[in-house]
Amino acid sequence: MSTHSAARVHYDRLSLRRLGLWLFILSESFLFFAFLSSRYYVLGIYRPEHLNQALGLIITCILLLSSLTAYRAEVSVAHGDRERFLRNTLATIGLGLLFLVGVGIEWVEAFAYFPPQQRFGTVFFSLTGLHAFHVLSGLVLLVFVWLHGRRGRFSAAHYWAVEGSVKYWHFVDVAWVFIYPTLYLVSL
Amino acid sequence: MERSGEQERKLRLGLRVLIALVVLTVVEYLLLVWRVPNLLVYLVVINLVDAWLIAEYFMHFSQLWRTEEEHR
Repeated sequence: MSTHSAARVHYDRLSLRRLGLWLFILSESFLFFAFLSSRYYVLGIYRPEHLNQALGLIITCILLLSSLTAYRAEVSVAHGDRERFLRNTLATIGLGLLFLVGVGIEWVEAFAYFPPQQRFGTVFFSLTGLHAFHVLSGLVLLVFVWLHGRRGRFSAAHYWAVEGSVKYWHFVDVAWVFIYPTLYLVSL
Repeated sequence: MERSGEQERKLRLGLRVLIALVVLTVVEYLLLVWRVPNLLVYLVVINLVDAWLIAEYFMHFSQLWRTEEEHR
């Protein structure tokens, strides 16, 4: 196989992988859309007063910051900058864990003010629980990527595992961008 | 050297996108504090802008339509 043909096959395979991942993300979006719409179906635009607004804003900013570090990790690996790639992947993992700690604190408070038996509690725990599960699975992927990155498994020409994991992480961020106002901000 | 310059340009772009996202999030919060009428409409618009910024700049959504030559 000529060099040009090999490059063509590699590009076609990469395009298919990207398309497959975007279709997966689309299917996940439907799931989140169903959960988000249930909030408006069950509660309308009612919102209890006891939500910790400061914590909600802080964990949102933490997740947005983690998207920047994930983006920097992908850009770095694409340019063969291994050190910066590893550093930013690790930072993303750290920020993701910090986000989960924030959600945990919010859950402790939420159990006191609106337990899952109440209507808002059902919506709150369903949405944040579904999202936290996605954050957790994203973290597993990123740890996998970091470990393989340390062993030098990725190069500027071959880094699909990094790109796929980082795209998934950004999707988790997009989902939260909609969940945050739906739970914390929408009101009468 | 040229590659490094391109990398730095992309990293700066990422920082600008993050700043825009944080500003929009703070604006969302301030709309609540200021009790702006029709809050839901403003929130939906801001969320769609947020989602577009992340999908386009961080997730490279338009990559899907690029040809092999454009990708190089």
